[in-house]
Amino acid sequence: MTDTTWTTEKAQGVQPRSNRLKFIVGGVLIVAALIFLIVNAMSGNTQLYKTVDEFYGEQSRLVGRDLRVSGLVVGDSIKFEQIDATTSRLEFDIVDDLNNPGQRLHIVAMNEPIPDLLQHEAQALVEGHATEDGVFHANAGGLFLKCPTRYEEAAPEA
Amino acid sequence: MIADLGYAAVLLAFAVAVYAAVASAYGAYKNDDRWVESARNSTVIILPLLLLASGLLVTLLLLGDFSVDYVWQVSSREMPTYLKVTALWGGQAGGLLFWNLLLAAFTAAAMLRNWDNQRELMPYALLVGAMTQIFFLGLVAFVENPFARIAGGVIPADGRGLNPLLRHPGMIIHPPMLYLGFTGLTIPYTFAMAALISGKLDDTWIRTTRRWTLVAWLFLSLGLILGGRWAYDVLGWGGYWAWDPVENASFIPWLAGTAFLHSVMIQEKRNMFKVWNMVLVILTYLLVIYGTFIVRSGVISSVHSFAQSAVGPLFFGFLAIMTVFSAYWLLRRRDELSSPNRLESLFSREAAFLLNNFVFMGVLVATFWGTNYPIISELFTGEKVTVGPPFYNRVNGPLFAVLLLLMGVAPLTMWYRSSAERIGMALRWPALAALAVAGVLYFAFDVNSWGALLGMWIVTVSLLLTILEFWKGIRARMKRGEAPWSALSNLMARNRRRYGGYWIHIGVLVMAFGIIGSYFFQQETQIRLRQGESVSLGSYEMTFQGVRQFPGPDDLLIKEASLAITDNGRSVGELTPRTELYTRSGQPMTIPSLRSTIGEDFYVIMVNWETVTSNEATFRLYLNPLINWVWAGGFIFIFGTLIAAWPDPADEKVTAAARARRRAKARPAYGD
Repeated sequence: MTDTTWTTEKAQGVQPRSNRLKFIVGGVLIVAALIFLIVNAMSGNTQLYKTVDEFYGEQSRLVGRDLRVSGLVVGDSIKFEQIDATTSRLEFDIVDDLNNPGQRLHIVAMNEPIPDLLQHEAQALVEGHATEDGVFHANAGGLFLKCPTRYEEAAPEA
Repeated sequence: MIADLGYAAVLLAFAVAVYAAVASAYGAYKNDDRWVESARNSTVIILPLLLLASGLLVTLLLLGDFSVDYVWQVSSREMPTYLKVTALWGGQAGGLLFWNLLLAAFTAAAMLRNWDNQRELMPYALLVGAMTQIFFLGLVAFVENPFARIAGGVIPADGRGLNPLLRHPGMIIHPPMLYLGFTGLTIPYTFAMAALISGKLDDTWIRTTRRWTLVAWLFLSLGLILGGRWAYDVLGWGGYWAWDPVENASFIPWLAGTAFLHSVMIQEKRNMFKVWNMVLVILTYLLVIYGTFIVRSGVISSVHSFAQSAVGPLFFGFLAIMTVFSAYWLLRRRDELSSPNRLESLFSREAAFLLNNFVFMGVLVATFWGTNYPIISELFTGEKVTVGPPFYNRVNGPLFAVLLLLMGVAPLTMWYRSSAERIGMALRWPALAALAVAGVLYFAFDVNSWGALLGMWIVTVSLLLTILEFWKGIRARMKRGEAPWSALSNLMARNRRRYGGYWIHIGVLVMAFGIIGSYFFQQETQIRLRQGESVSLGSYEMTFQGVRQFPGPDDLLIKEASLAITDNGRSVGELTPRTELYTRSGQPMTIPSLRSTIGEDFYVIMVNWETVTSNEATFRLYLNPLINWVWAGGFIFIFGTLIAAWPDPADEKVTAAARARRRAKARPAYGD
């Protein structure tokens, strides 16, 4: 009745060798498929990750390439303009260090809503590319503001 | 004063954990039960100590004692009481304390419950459990102390408060669920390592820990689902999963745990894959530590902001120690774990589980690779390179498809071997029926993406096959004269894990249905409307009727748009997306408004409204097909897990009998 006794002599004798081969071939095929999937998915879906200063350090090399830049939002640079019914432009600057701002990177995002977290000091991650004029154009849906999951900052100066 | 007492409780808990490790090791070495019992008592005592510490931290939060740095960081006077309580896990230091509390609860419960029936494993289980606790308690005691005083000595008048975006039920329950899942997954590891060290390698450790695994896995799953729901409700981008490193950090251990829950069945049935199961349990544990490391250390840039904190290197060190420790014992016991049994056929249940494990590992490796790619690439090229959601979707999409198909097909296979023809026969009608469904989608609903059609076909096939599994069981019972309904409930009661598992599969398939729909067919548009103007998306048309502005509770200023909605020309009511401005902090919050049906969500946010030109406002509209199936599937999934994890009366009897036996047998003073 139970299937547990269903082991034949043959299964223990000749078969295991060919079985093992089958399993090894199967395993190798799966691993190969996985490597192929990963390599295939990597192409065209990677971005160099740069801070603002890193970006300016090698600006000429990075112009036009798919980038992910990170920086802190300068609050008074945030502008939202509705150009016509279907076009809007969101602009703001990011820097590496607000207390010691070096160069600013100007971000332009077309037809993106204003994220709630887009405020002074917020950390922004922007996917897009820079043009010759130094403006960084965000991809559609490429604007990420850090989720305020944790607040860890120094206590206020006394 | 309260803070000092709380910190003292944490320090004491740390000392007790160190003692528990020493006592259990010494007890094992000397084979002296008194030391082991002492170690057990110490392990149990950590729980009340941490309850005290957490209670005191909550007291400080409720009192608004801003001389404590943590209280200042995560709370403020105007916060409602329940948020002050939940602020216990609102930040790094408190979160770690809370994590320790849950870890202590799981560890104490597991040790007490298995004290009688796993006596030989106990000394080592206590030791391994204490090792984990020493590390995490050490973090709270010496690195991230939630009771630390604020720097500078000047007590601020008010705290910084909790970000309004986190004032959402999903966000309040989500972290504890993830914590419960993570801490719970340390229990199987504890017993697995105990089995390895003691050399008592039969599958009793698996029987002991499988329900702990399932319970932890339930919480982890719930945490993942709730996190997605919160993102959908609050973040206003119409999505629920973004393959962000922090999301991945909780998904990766989930994958390892899921693979283990499957492959453990091979060990139970066929006494095979024992090394592999050990590897999976160890991997799950290490990935839990790794996940916590990612989340806590800020080592990988994420949309979630976490402190760039000193805990990073410590985690790394602990991870390295535990990896070496686990690998050493695994290699040492390798020969004792080998099984005399072999896989006999490619068409067997064992082979199906093996394939399942391969694919789960594939998803795990790909996700791990993508998550860590910034580190890997920086190591080799000196440049940080990130991969985005398209990478994960392209790799994991096909792998998920294989898993979904396996869900339906694997239950058709039998242990040892089954014939390909038999499987083919069983597969034929569901495959054809699913083809008909795909045909309907193609011709009647204009679904013309091959990926989506293939996905829907697979989901339908597996759903039909799973339902047929239920039907086979019910029919067999009905032939014996049972009524259909009681046949179903008896079937499930008799074999909870199996049919609970099938319910989980149904839940996943339903979720997959929703994910395919919302992934392939989401539509969005952004447009400015003048009062009275309309825009249409899908079968919906929306007319902008105006915005009103009014003060809300507390310091809120609310702007609410009124939109008349028609579906296929028929009025279906009004949508009112709004923005709420917390005027004190200046934090705005965009609240979407949606019409939710079984077929789709019509989801609107108000992007902008200028007071000067108050007759114009900009909206962003999303049409998310089938999205509610994701949440419905989530419910079914949790229901199935509950069935599978529910205590089994038969099991209970065995445990009770073991307890009684032990009591009857007058316990010898030293060891057995």
